[in-house]
Amino acid sequence: MAASFKPIRSLLQTGTNSGSRWFSYIGLGIGVLLLLCSIQMFINIQQLVGGESKRKEGYDFISISKTITNETMGQLEKNLFNETDIKEIAAQPFIQGVSPLVANRFRVQLSAGDIIPFSTDMFLESLDNNFIDTVPPNFSWQEGQDYIPIVFSSDFLEIYNVFAPGYGLPQLSEATASQVVVYITCYGPNGVQQTFRGSIVALSDRVNSIIVPKNFLDWANNKFGNTTSVRASRLYIKTNDANNPDFLNYLQQKNYKVNKDKTKFGRVKQVLQGIFSGLGIFGLLVVILALMLFSFYLQLMIARSKDNLQLLLLMGYSPNWLSKNVSKQFVPVYILVVLVALALTGGMQWAFHHFAMFDRPELSSMLHWTVLATALFLIGLSLFTNYRMVRKLLYRLV
Amino acid sequence: MQLQLQQLLPVYFDESQRSASEVWRKDLSFSKGEYIKIVAPSGSGKSSLMHFLYGLRNEYNGNIVYNNRPLRQYTAEDFASYRKDHVSIVFQDLRLFPEQTVFENIELKRQLNPFHPAEKIREMAERLGIGNKLASKSRICSYGEQQRVAIIRALMQPFDFLLLDEPFSHLDDKNSQNAMGLMLEEAKLRNAAIIFADLERIDYFPYTRLFHL
Repeated sequence: MAASFKPIRSLLQTGTNSGSRWFSYIGLGIGVLLLLCSIQMFINIQQLVGGESKRKEGYDFISISKTITNETMGQLEKNLFNETDIKEIAAQPFIQGVSPLVANRFRVQLSAGDIIPFSTDMFLESLDNNFIDTVPPNFSWQEGQDYIPIVFSSDFLEIYNVFAPGYGLPQLSEATASQVVVYITCYGPNGVQQTFRGSIVALSDRVNSIIVPKNFLDWANNKFGNTTSVRASRLYIKTNDANNPDFLNYLQQKNYKVNKDKTKFGRVKQVLQGIFSGLGIFGLLVVILALMLFSFYLQLMIARSKDNLQLLLLMGYSPNWLSKNVSKQFVPVYILVVLVALALTGGMQWAFHHFAMFDRPELSSMLHWTVLATALFLIGLSLFTNYRMVRKLLYRLV
Repeated sequence: MQLQLQQLLPVYFDESQRSASEVWRKDLSFSKGEYIKIVAPSGSGKSSLMHFLYGLRNEYNGNIVYNNRPLRQYTAEDFASYRKDHVSIVFQDLRLFPEQTVFENIELKRQLNPFHPAEKIREMAERLGIGNKLASKSRICSYGEQQRVAIIRALMQPFDFLLLDEPFSHLDDKNSQNAMGLMLEEAKLRNAAIIFADLERIDYFPYTRLFHL
């Protein structure tokens, strides 16, 4: 149809209630601005914390234990991980591997022989080799071998060096520490005991423990101890991102204890993302409210112009053409409103990057493409709801 | 192009009203080029018939068939093109936009599907004696003037049938004849039929068939 809409425009009575129209435009603008800003901030947080910094090996290794409370104190089965727990943890999508730290189930005494007059009751633990950061080739044991290689926590060595002078013991460098041969005596029931030689073959920054080959500890637990079932007080977890909110939520929900420092950023991120998700949802609600307000305005406008519109339809104007043209009247305003909100969001992002984040390279001064896509989507959404509304109202007049 | 009435009767009419009628409950067929005169006293359903034919209302039994397709099957879009291309009407109650000028009222119809150029509006208005009213809002025109506006408006589009519902009720004989002459010319231009419903017979309408409603 070649007919022009221009003479028809004056038949739509809009003058008397322009207040509600402007309110809905402003509401729409504020809602879109809130929504776009929230999305952009959400992405900023994602880029600033976690995500971007892949670990050296690509994984985080962290140990978890069950939180010991006053209620569970003394109930070993409640404070240890059993096989079901381990299987369940391993099945989580954000966990790439899990290994129990198995401890000795018998008495172990360690002495440094004649060079250093030092002897103490000790503990030994074993862990999958994959989970240890430093595994030298000689870290292995076979039955019958009386030499045990040990992976020792660097933290423990540091602690030793702190208290050694007070006890008249020599402080040890890392190199010397691995020279020292220690004697490990295992005590079983009925006075059974066996002494092994051992030496530190590597120091570990990751594992806070004294690690011996797994097959040795399994064998010794069997021989000197009285249980073979896997019950570990600590688990080592291999994960892509220790700051992953899902991972943290899972730990929290299970009441597992984790090194807070390693997941600190994750918690901050969780809180911030929560805040901005909330703001985003609020923005979306404002957008919906504004669209509703606008639809009321449309209803009012069409009700006021009912006689004129009915007469146009009666003269042979197509209801489809009329709905298209009536709703087209608001296209420029809608686009303008969203573009203004988009420009303000762009300004906000630039200022945030420049003034608050001092041009950190992880961020960009430009808007993320999802923000642009959302803006486009919102324009589409408002035009579509608008058109549907007008069409519905006009067909009611036919 | 045929307009057929098949056993047509308004649902709100009782059977006694149809017995005397030459239209209700009859099978009639109107073709292009015919001049149909329908003489109808008040309350005989004249306006109802015109509204049914124009597709404004459908509270009738029987069928109205245009070009072998019953109007009952028409969608809103179908009616739009029916009124734009095939059937034009002068309502008894005129139905003008009160706040628009005379010219705008006519132009709103003309631009929808122009049969005439815009200059024709002034020409016809001069001919019917309302040339000086083109710029006035239609609500301040007299009823007789408004009637002539409605007539010119109906002549701006192509049509196969022109429906007239008491178009001269407020016009004197001279003006009526003048307007009738214009409508006959325009109908001839399109080889269209005129269906003219009025209270009594009018001498200057050269009808080819006459019905009493």
